[in-house]
Amino acid sequence: MLIAYSALLMAILGFAFGTFLAYSAKKFEVKEDPRVEMVKAALPGVNCGACGYAGCEAFAKAVVAGKVTPDMCTPGRASGVAEKIKEILKQNAPS
Amino acid sequence: MRVFLILFSALLINNYVFIRFLGICPFLGVSKKLDTAVGMGFAATFVLVMSSVITWFVNKLLVVAGLEFLRTVSFILVIATFVQFVEFVIRKNSPSLYEALGIYLPLITTNCIILGVAILNAQAKYSLLEAIFHALGAGLGFLLALVIFAGIRERLELYELPKPFEGLPIALILASIISMAFMGFQGLIKL
Repeated sequence: MLIAYSALLMAILGFAFGTFLAYSAKKFEVKEDPRVEMVKAALPGVNCGACGYAGCEAFAKAVVAGKVTPDMCTPGRASGVAEKIKEILKQNAPS
Repeated sequence: MRVFLILFSALLINNYVFIRFLGICPFLGVSKKLDTAVGMGFAATFVLVMSSVITWFVNKLLVVAGLEFLRTVSFILVIATFVQFVEFVIRKNSPSLYEALGIYLPLITTNCIILGVAILNAQAKYSLLEAIFHALGAGLGFLLALVIFAGIRERLELYELPKPFEGLPIALILASIISMAFMGFQGLIKL
C-alpha cells in the first residue's frame, strides 16, 4: 500500500511540474539558428567537454558561429561527425 | 518580529556560505565578475523563495499522507522545476547573462543551500511566512556573499600575486578570511 501511495504521489507531482515546465517552455521560447539544432543532432551528445566547451550545445553554437573548426569533437571522430557537420554547414549556408 | 529575526539570522549570523559552508561551488565559480555575481544571486534567491513556498505545501501533503521519507526526492523535483523555469526566463530576457552563468545556472539545482533551506524549513516546522523569510534571508545572504567576494576578486585582478597563489588558491584564502569576519556575528540572535 505504502509503495502504491508513494508512486501515486510522485506521479502526480511529476505530472504537475512537467505540465508547468512544458507551458513555460512554450511561453519563453527563444528563436535560434536552426543550424545549431542540426549540428547538435549530428554530435554524439555525450557532453564530455573534450572540445573545450562546456557541452555539446556550446560546441554546436561555436561551430555555427565559425569560432572553431568542425573536427574538434573527439568522441565523434571515428563515426565521421566532422564530415556531417561540414555537410550541414555547406548545405544550409546563409545566402 | 520573529520573521525578521529569522531573516537576519539566515542573512548574517548563520550566513549559508560563510558560516554553514553550503553552496561553495557557485560561490567560487561565478564570483569573478560583479554583474554575473548579482545575476546569479538574484536567480538563486528567486529559486529559493519559490521553491520553499512550494516545498512548504508539498511537505504538508507528505505529512498528511504519512510519507515523510519522500521529502528529499520530492523537494529535488520542485527545485529542478524552478531552476529550469529560471533558465527559460533568463535565456529569453538576458542572453548575455545566460552566456556568463553558463554551466552554473543548471547547477543551482544541486546547490546545497536550496535543498538545505527546504529541509531545514520542514525540520524546524516553520509556518509559511517564516519559511518565506528564511528563504529570503538565505538568498540575500548568498547574494551578499557573492557581491563581497566578486568585488574583492575584481580588485585583486589588478595586483601582481605570487605565482602559486594566482586564481583559485587566493580565492579560497580570501573566503576563509571573510568567513572568519562573519564569525564575529555569532551569538547576536538567539532563536
